Amino acid sequence: MKLAWHNIAHDRVRFAATVLGIAFAVFLMIFQGSLLFGFLRAASKIVDSTDADLWISARGVTCFDFPASLSRRFIEVSRGVSGIIGAGRIITSFAEYRKPDGKHQLVALVGADPEVGRRFPVPRVNGSITALEPDGLLVDESNTALLDLRELPSDVEINGRRARVTGTVAGFSSFLGSPYIFTSYTEATRYLRLGPEEAMYILLRLEPGYTAEQVRSQLRRRLPEVDIWTRAEFSRRSRLYWITQTGAGGGILIAAILGFLIGLVIVSQNIYATTMENLEEFATLKALGASRWFIIRIVLMQALACGMAGSLLGVAATFPLVEAARNTIAWIYTPWWLPLVTIPPGLLMCGLASIISVRAALLVEPARVFRA
Amino acid sequence: MPERFLSVEAASVGYGRAAARAQALRNVSLSFKPGQLSLIMGPSGSGKTTLLSVLGCLLTPDSGKVYVRDREVSGIGEAARTELRRRSIGFVFQAFRLFRSLTALDNVTISGDICGQPGQKQRAKELLEELGLGDKMHLKPDEMSGGEKQRVAIARVLTKDPPILLADEPTASLDTAAGQQISELLFKVAAGHGRAVVVVSHDSRWEPFAHRLIILRDGEVIQDRSQQA
Repeated sequence: MKLAWHNIAHDRVRFAATVLGIAFAVFLMIFQGSLLFGFLRAASKIVDSTDADLWISARGVTCFDFPASLSRRFIEVSRGVSGIIGAGRIITSFAEYRKPDGKHQLVALVGADPEVGRRFPVPRVNGSITALEPDGLLVDESNTALLDLRELPSDVEINGRRARVTGTVAGFSSFLGSPYIFTSYTEATRYLRLGPEEAMYILLRLEPGYTAEQVRSQLRRRLPEVDIWTRAEFSRRSRLYWITQTGAGGGILIAAILGFLIGLVIVSQNIYATTMENLEEFATLKALGASRWFIIRIVLMQALACGMAGSLLGVAATFPLVEAARNTIAWIYTPWWLPLVTIPPGLLMCGLASIISVRAALLVEPARVFRA
Repeated sequence: MPERFLSVEAASVGYGRAAARAQALRNVSLSFKPGQLSLIMGPSGSGKTTLLSVLGCLLTPDSGKVYVRDREVSGIGEAARTELRRRSIGFVFQAFRLFRSLTALDNVTISGDICGQPGQKQRAKELLEELGLGDKMHLKPDEMSGGEKQRVAIARVLTKDPPILLADEPTASLDTAAGQQISELLFKVAAGHGRAVVVVSHDSRWEPFAHRLIILRDGEVIQDRSQQA
């Protein structure tokens, strides 16, 4: 197969063009994949950050961002069910944020009891589990410029009430265009002018020994007018809503598939052109008695070498470029395994692209070798 | 010794269709023996190259039969013809047909790779040295003269040592000295190694090296005589 390698080395410009084409296609796949996974992760990030075993929501709530109010008696009823050792509340609603410079910005205010989980962003005093900062707000670090927060703490207003942004959190950027702002449940009810004990989600932690299914059955008997989800179910429901109901996720998925198809066309054209350029050599090989398999192997080896080099280059280019994209798309996320799983499609792409080339190489008339 | 070592019987080949059809070979019957260099001459369009393509199993005649080492091959499939070329026939072309990305040495050893006998480096080196290319082994075709390229092409053929060698205008692109060298070499392959060598050429300088001279015109044999080489 020396001929395959030497042909590649001989025509470096064409090799470089093919490798760049594949690298671009692979990068496109990884980038679109990162958008898709980042989108999914952001869609359920808040739900996944809680420690709750069960979530209670109003009937028909499709995702975390679009809740409905629950009756205040539900939390008391929940606390009375055996197997529950803790209950916390979350409220969320869009609110008007007034920047330090006086400009307005629509934000998604999220208020939670400290019981919802240690990983959940609420402004705690010196890392305390239960003590919360009065008037304290937390924002995602990617939103500080949008919210005009040049220094912390900064005094701002939420729905016309005085508040103070005391810190930042990471990984809670929103794709809705309205940044999340986190605060305690009590402060949130004040900013949103809600009554005491009003909630949109009730989060329950279970006593060891009780299963979610057991407790859910009991809760359903007592609270037939609500939906009760395990955390995993509600997380999946939120992701599914955004991916299937809004079209945004579907658009990203289609873009990833288009990336693959565009790559396929680029690679096909380059590999076919390389084969056509070497058609006389394939005719010579056939005249010299080379078997079909010998010729197929040369075309395939060239295609796979291009595929491997292009895939590696594409993967290598992804990390700095995704990092650069994070400045504008903070929720983009590349799982560690995503670059690896794009290599087989990259090679498959080359394999598919080489089919037309193999056909051209096999059909060449060997008698043309006598033409001067 | 097979009766029909390499022969065509009543072979006819035409190109094109209907009114545009041209007859390249008309009812040609010829037989070639090992140990002889046969020279086929004739004007352009006389059917020389078509005859060589038929003998080399690159082209199937429209009618007639072709025998290679006593086997009738005009009706066999593409895979069997490829196998036959691989095992029994070597080609030398006017345009050399070397692989531009490979060195002289690799151009010779590729013959072994094609035949499923890789690792003939030593044999290839010996052949190149024998042909006076010991110091050019690592050059690529673009770095060699026409005569050198043709010698590499001949080494490529010799490394698989086929009983039949077909050469199409092997000296057409070469100067006098290089042409003389190639002629002597192919004569040695025929007379010295007992191969059947068939050379197609316009070049009358080949005549002293030929055991047999065949002249074609308009697809027909108009002269076929043996001579003292």
